[in-house]
Amino acid sequence: MRQLIVRRLLQTIPMLFFVSVVCFAMIKLAPGDPVLSFVTPNMHADDIERIRHNLGLDKPAYIQYFIWLGEMVQGNFGYSLVNHQPVLGQILERLPATAGLMGSAIALAVLLAVPLGLIAGANRNRWVDKLVNLIAYIGISVPLFWLAILLMYLFAIKLHLLPSMGMRTIGVESAVDVLKHGILPCTVLAFGFLATYVRYIRSSTIGQLKEEYVQIQYAFGSKKSTILFRHVLKHVLLPVITLLGMSMGDLVAGAIVTETVFSWPGIGSLGMTAVRGMDYPVIMGITLFSSLMLIIGNLAADILYSFVDPRIKLKG
Amino acid sequence: MKRGLSGIAVLMLLTFLISACSGGNNAASTNTNATPAATEAAASTEPKDGGSLIIGVASDPQVLNPNYAGDRVSLTIDQALYAPLFQVNNGEKTFYLAESLTPSEDNLTYTLKLKDGLTWHDGEKLTADDVVFTIDSILDEKQNSFLRANFLINDQPITATKVDDLTVEFKLPQVSPAFEATLVQVSPIPKHVFENEADIEKSTKNASPVGSGPFKFKEYKAGEYLTLERFDNYFGGKPHLDSVTYRIAKDANAANLALQNGEINVQYLDPKDVATIQATNNFEVLPYSEGRLAYLMFNANSDTGALAKKEVRQALSLALSRDELIQTAYTSSEYADPAKSFLTPDALYFTNDVTTFDNDAAKAKELLAAAGESNLKLRYIVQSGNKAQEAISLYVQQKLKEIGVEVELQNMDSSAWVQKFIDLKATDYELALTGYIMGYDPDAYRILFTTDASSNYSHYSNTEVDKLLNDGAGEADTAKRADIYKQVQDIIAEDAPIYPIAYTKTVVAVSKNYGGIDEAVLKPVVIFEDLSKIYQK
Repeated sequence: MRQLIVRRLLQTIPMLFFVSVVCFAMIKLAPGDPVLSFVTPNMHADDIERIRHNLGLDKPAYIQYFIWLGEMVQGNFGYSLVNHQPVLGQILERLPATAGLMGSAIALAVLLAVPLGLIAGANRNRWVDKLVNLIAYIGISVPLFWLAILLMYLFAIKLHLLPSMGMRTIGVESAVDVLKHGILPCTVLAFGFLATYVRYIRSSTIGQLKEEYVQIQYAFGSKKSTILFRHVLKHVLLPVITLLGMSMGDLVAGAIVTETVFSWPGIGSLGMTAVRGMDYPVIMGITLFSSLMLIIGNLAADILYSFVDPRIKLKG
Repeated sequence: MKRGLSGIAVLMLLTFLISACSGGNNAASTNTNATPAATEAAASTEPKDGGSLIIGVASDPQVLNPNYAGDRVSLTIDQALYAPLFQVNNGEKTFYLAESLTPSEDNLTYTLKLKDGLTWHDGEKLTADDVVFTIDSILDEKQNSFLRANFLINDQPITATKVDDLTVEFKLPQVSPAFEATLVQVSPIPKHVFENEADIEKSTKNASPVGSGPFKFKEYKAGEYLTLERFDNYFGGKPHLDSVTYRIAKDANAANLALQNGEINVQYLDPKDVATIQATNNFEVLPYSEGRLAYLMFNANSDTGALAKKEVRQALSLALSRDELIQTAYTSSEYADPAKSFLTPDALYFTNDVTTFDNDAAKAKELLAAAGESNLKLRYIVQSGNKAQEAISLYVQQKLKEIGVEVELQNMDSSAWVQKFIDLKATDYELALTGYIMGYDPDAYRILFTTDASSNYSHYSNTEVDKLLNDGAGEADTAKRADIYKQVQDIIAEDAPIYPIAYTKTVVAVSKNYGGIDEAVLKPVVIFEDLSKIYQK
């Protein structure tokens, strides 16, 4: 087991290398020039060249890449081209906000999706099932930014229950305040996942209910709810673990939208700004960071699998 | 079961919200009349001290140092954090740190007197040393300030020397009335803080800026907000507000909701959102000129050479209607004034009383025929996703078709667009919609309209204009200078290297709980010139 984890972790190194090459190439192939954001109309050509030189952007792209790689290997993620702050510091500063948002959104999505999916599956084609399906379809089709604005309008403007944006009331440092600010972004981010998970859990419940062990439980006279939540639940949770591992990518994408709309000071909104300014050290840092999270998320899912389902043996 | 019910609730909510939104829009038109009366009532209240103000901004500031701030947000915050030497509005100077600025007989030396008893936020004295240090840092190539180019006249630097603690002497290599406009952009930075920094732009000291403006730095939460608090020793008198916070709201729709919810008190508005905000009756909606010209550029350097002929450019201009263009791009003339001159209304010697080619398709066809052009094909570069750009491009395409000119629209990503636009060697397009903010001194426009100048993107070339613009740069006599720029405006209007569309306005919403807006002076880019004057009612 330990050997396997070590091997998987070692495999991430070439993977991250590959990701970094592709990401760097895409940034360099995209039209635009980061130096342009420093240029004013009356600047002389040699001033512009000096800025380019200072930022190291006058070298060929592949050399820029190797310089970046060399620094990165030594743990130096470089400095933002725009605000000149260290990239790693900026990412770490914003990590708690993103981790908190993603973690609570995933937790919320799973906590709601499991019972909803079970109930829908058990009451197939009845009105509860149709309703849950409807919610799921809405969740899959509604764009996050739109839902965000809608909830903001309702809960902040109309009902005055929650703040519309940000992570804190200005000057206030309290956990309750952060939680209050987090409710809307977390709900929005969770909604899309909830919808996907519910669909999976529902169909997997329908499948499980046909299994012999369920029939035996019925024969023993177990109550339907006991069967559902004690026995079927265990089997249904398996695909959820896979889903969790797979949705890390969507989670990052969703977080970018949610954080931007709610002005949530996380990595997503940092990335959005960096892309706009063609700030490649920041883009590279964030891409590597989220790739790493994705890989670790998948690895964790695999490991978890072997614990939950003894039939599955992890083999290198 | 319960969860199922909550699902129904969500559905009902959606329908309710959609109807609520449309209701809001209808109410807007009837409520607009109420605003002027409310403004008058507000003006009569006495300023009082205390309270705080929250200004919505679209992104994090890049660097809180006036020598490097180029983005809108940094400039806005710096305006409160660092006091300028002086500002100019409608040709009149308002002095801040400076007490006076006097040119010598020969106009080659300017003497700047500072006010007595100025201090930095940390209590240190602000003196001539700081001003000289600031200018020297700007001129130092190693420090990479983008203001550097402004302090060079024909590649010769302007020098600043200290005479005594309150006096600085500027020596110019040649006469340049535009020098005052250069100084307007300078806010001194503290020598005692930055003296031994090898690279001031990257200095960690910018994270806790020490300025001289009405508000001092308190805290910055990246991605969330930045708060400034009152500076009691501000030379212009103690500011009314206790604190000013710049709240970062990246999404414009979300920012508008936060504005309505009182989480933001001051916010830029898109013209399309004005009606919604006005309907709440809680805000003053203030459109003001941002000193910007929006125009259609004719690239005379394109490989077809079609636009090198003045008559063709005039004909294209005649085919378009300025009013229709303004309607198309800005929905109403309230947010944009028709433009005829290449100068903006805030510029010295501006006149809109010049030749214009507008809305005369018959004459346009005549001119084209006379120029011997038929079956003209033009390429128009458009920024994809930019609504104003896209709308105008379709309008132009349709209007030019009426005079027999075919326009091919080339949509491209905005960064690709900018790269092509600023590339002086680009010859593969003829038309582009763009704009500029050049400041109040007309000499700033020299780089746009003299032959082979650094920003002459339209490749306009007229030896008479070259001469006049160079004369204007070095002409100290105001009457003669006025005459020069009057002539230039006439000639450029006649030559039509660009089609001026509109002097655009910025719209800002300010909560009615605040007063002193007139005294604070609405200013392009930075919103308020002097935040110390704003008070909470």
